[in-house]
Amino acid sequence: MKFVRIISAAATYKLQRRYGIGMSVRPILLVTIICAGLIIAGCDGSGQLEEPNEMVLHHVLSAKIKGLDPGNMRDVYSVIVASQMFEPLYQYHFLKRPYQLVPLLAEDMPQISDDLLTYTIKIKKGVYFQDDPCFGSRPAGSPPNGKGRELKAEDFVFSLKKIANIKYLSQNWSIFDNKIAGLDEFREYTKTCKSEADVDYSRQVQGLTTPDDYTLIIKLKKAWPQLCMALADTATAPVAKEAVDYYGRDIISHPVGTGPFRLNVWRRGSYIELVRNLAFRGELYPSRGEPGDAEAGYLDDAGKPIPFADRVIWTVIEERQPAWLLFLQGKVDATVIPKDNFDEVMGGAGELTSAMKQRSIHLKTFKDPSTYWLGFNMAEPVFGKNKPLRRAISCAIDREKFIELFFNNRHLVAHGLIPPVMPSYNPEIKEKGYAQYGPEKAQELLKEAEKIHGGKLPTLKITLPGTNTWYRQYGQFLKRNLNAVGLEVETEYMDRPTYLEKVNTKSVQMFTSGSSASTPDAQDFLAMFYSRYHAPGPNKFNYSNPEFDKLYEKAQVMLDGPEKRRLYRKMELIVLEDCPAAFLNHRVAYVLHHDWYKNYKPHAFAYGLSKYRRIDTAKRAAYKN
Amino acid sequence: MTAYITRRLLYTIPIVFGVLLLTFVLFTLVGGDISIEIAGKGATRETIEEIREDYGLNKPLFLSWDSQFVNHFKNALTFNFGRARDREPVIDKIKRGLGPSLALTVPIFFGVVIISVSLALVAAFVRGTVWDILAVVICVAGMSIPYLSFILFGQYFLAYRWGLFPVFFSPELRMAQYVALPVLIGIAAGLGRNLRFFRTVMLDEIRNDYVRTAFAKGLTVRRVLFKHVLKNAMIPIITRVVLAIPFLFLGSLLLERFFGIPGLGYLMAEAIGSRDYFVISAMTYISAILFVVFNLITDICYSLVDPRISLE
Repeated sequence: MKFVRIISAAATYKLQRRYGIGMSVRPILLVTIICAGLIIAGCDGSGQLEEPNEMVLHHVLSAKIKGLDPGNMRDVYSVIVASQMFEPLYQYHFLKRPYQLVPLLAEDMPQISDDLLTYTIKIKKGVYFQDDPCFGSRPAGSPPNGKGRELKAEDFVFSLKKIANIKYLSQNWSIFDNKIAGLDEFREYTKTCKSEADVDYSRQVQGLTTPDDYTLIIKLKKAWPQLCMALADTATAPVAKEAVDYYGRDIISHPVGTGPFRLNVWRRGSYIELVRNLAFRGELYPSRGEPGDAEAGYLDDAGKPIPFADRVIWTVIEERQPAWLLFLQGKVDATVIPKDNFDEVMGGAGELTSAMKQRSIHLKTFKDPSTYWLGFNMAEPVFGKNKPLRRAISCAIDREKFIELFFNNRHLVAHGLIPPVMPSYNPEIKEKGYAQYGPEKAQELLKEAEKIHGGKLPTLKITLPGTNTWYRQYGQFLKRNLNAVGLEVETEYMDRPTYLEKVNTKSVQMFTSGSSASTPDAQDFLAMFYSRYHAPGPNKFNYSNPEFDKLYEKAQVMLDGPEKRRLYRKMELIVLEDCPAAFLNHRVAYVLHHDWYKNYKPHAFAYGLSKYRRIDTAKRAAYKN
Repeated sequence: MTAYITRRLLYTIPIVFGVLLLTFVLFTLVGGDISIEIAGKGATRETIEEIREDYGLNKPLFLSWDSQFVNHFKNALTFNFGRARDREPVIDKIKRGLGPSLALTVPIFFGVVIISVSLALVAAFVRGTVWDILAVVICVAGMSIPYLSFILFGQYFLAYRWGLFPVFFSPELRMAQYVALPVLIGIAAGLGRNLRFFRTVMLDEIRNDYVRTAFAKGLTVRRVLFKHVLKNAMIPIITRVVLAIPFLFLGSLLLERFFGIPGLGYLMAEAIGSRDYFVISAMTYISAILFVVFNLITDICYSLVDPRISLE
């Protein structure tokens, strides 16, 4: 305050001489000094409490995570974080392509009976849950010191029963619906319970048995060749019953897993920090990959114990500018390229600009197993009976222009529904269907459509699941394309929940949507056209075709192989002919990472990859300095 | 005064009831059912029904002692806001967001008020001079520049290019460090609008006869400005300042989002986006109570600064 008085006296003297005022400057000076104090306090932006040789991975999440309970989460961000702490029975090989399943908590791949109905899975011995207060007794007033216990086959049974428990309201039940013998009956039983806590998990389920602590037997109602893929999903990772009993509904904030990391700090909505799980059994970095991996440095750490990192940090940054600036400052290891910074990053011929190369920034691109479309509601009278109208709309959309305008030319035109990264992708699909831009052809088809409709077509409506600028531009683009061939179109924009409600109640005409595969099997994409799954199920198009259904049912119980892929391609062609959607684009991810971020090989289906990442701490320190 | 305060507090009952009714109607009748979205992709009808039961959405809307509205009303009165859609207790979310939000909005509020009132007094006193014109030009420019531009500029130049501040929140930083830049941006962005308003208020006062009389009697500039002008200008200042206080609770969406401050502005915006009725309802209810209370405080302040106003 003395300092304020001295400064203000000087200023007062000057102002008094000029205008005869003095006192009014004191509050101004006071605030100025407070602001200066804030500046000084704020100056030390790089004051990280990171040991010089500590290996810390710094990641960004572009949305908040909702919870860390593997049995009841589907959003990708929660899965990314939870997958570092929870482990399922199987995982995708980190390096090999095409994608291949390998054991994780299982000792080996399952023994499958000849009728494809019984899976016998041996569980690894010596796997322990992380230490947590939920284990062991805790004397009142003393600090928690529960030692994690060994994982047993019964933990898998408990976790699957938990997903089946209707009171638990799991979003993952659809994975197991009508698949495992006795599990649906267990779900029926849970309907009679008053609450989640009343459910008796010791109740037997015919299809889930454990002859000993390290053997799990799963009996299926009918063949389900995708079971191993489902058992590689984080949703099926074992959770300890002790943790569920101890934390109750707060289990979403108290993950207790067997994985290489455990939760240290979670500031909901802003920051998540994992540290090494000291009870982790240990795992080795893969020694084999695909051709080119050794040259790319992906095998430099072959055979070394993982994880390498001491800590993994995610900062939730929903705006692009701060995420980009933190990346340039070296405070984030990898990032996607923000749309507005694309020209700053990418030069001609798909290469990085010299400015990026000078910073030793690397670019990785990979095809994402996703497809986006403009869907038609087949239960709606104008579209349901008018195939030429649907085809005309598909031909009227200039997909290349769309990709240029909205994705900096980064995406691929979708000629069909199965993305290129899937084994069942048809390389000749470009020649089929109605995805080639052709306004003249569209106009011809519209003449046919008008005949079927019995006169001029009414104004059509496109429903979009967002109200921000991007969705409005997207709507405008579609509208302009359809207007150009003579269709009258209006667009409606709404929040996602309202949109979902409208789509699920079949109250839309055309709607924009998309999907990303969670396994290399294209079944998820094809299920969206199966007539038994009409909205609110996955078939939002309300599409029905008996021939398609027959092939779908046949392929559903087949093991992966050329015959199954042939059927998938045939089903795709049926869909393209009927055109219940105009497929628009497949996403291609462009990711940048710093030179110090090692073993960063993109993977389309696996999330628990932080254990493979390594940091060259000397390089990182040099960049920051 | 006691009778007045009691009466005003009783008035809050219908207001709060109205707010509760309005939020309920907006989110149940207009907003629709959220159970489909909670159930997730590919959910069966029975799961959706179970969710409806769990959240009480299958109960009658109004005409029952166990109706959705009666429960909504009971929960609000007992401050039992239940769990948000991510199953975390709503009250925990609010408690966690309150500190960061207030750490941001309170310094901005005081900074803007103190600087703009002080500068307004000076500008009014030197009215018509180049300094006054300059102040007006800066005010108009400040009002014309979008808030987002202040943020983008401040973050890029002050934090990234010149390294004076951290770009984003990090738990290793002290709170003063990560709120410093957002506070400065908030003050800079809010100054133009407030300074212009307070200058107009001061000009209205400074032109009054009593000011000339005071100068004629030989009072000093300081005494005239602070003892007389400022005191007489207090009514509009109080109205603007005190009624702004409840909004401090709501935080600042843009600043929180760009600087990663986990406050209530961010929470509210996200709740609206995801139709988290439980969070929105709690925040609206608390805001309504704060607004009513601060309205009462404004009225009491009127009587304290202006003897002509009595609370009867």
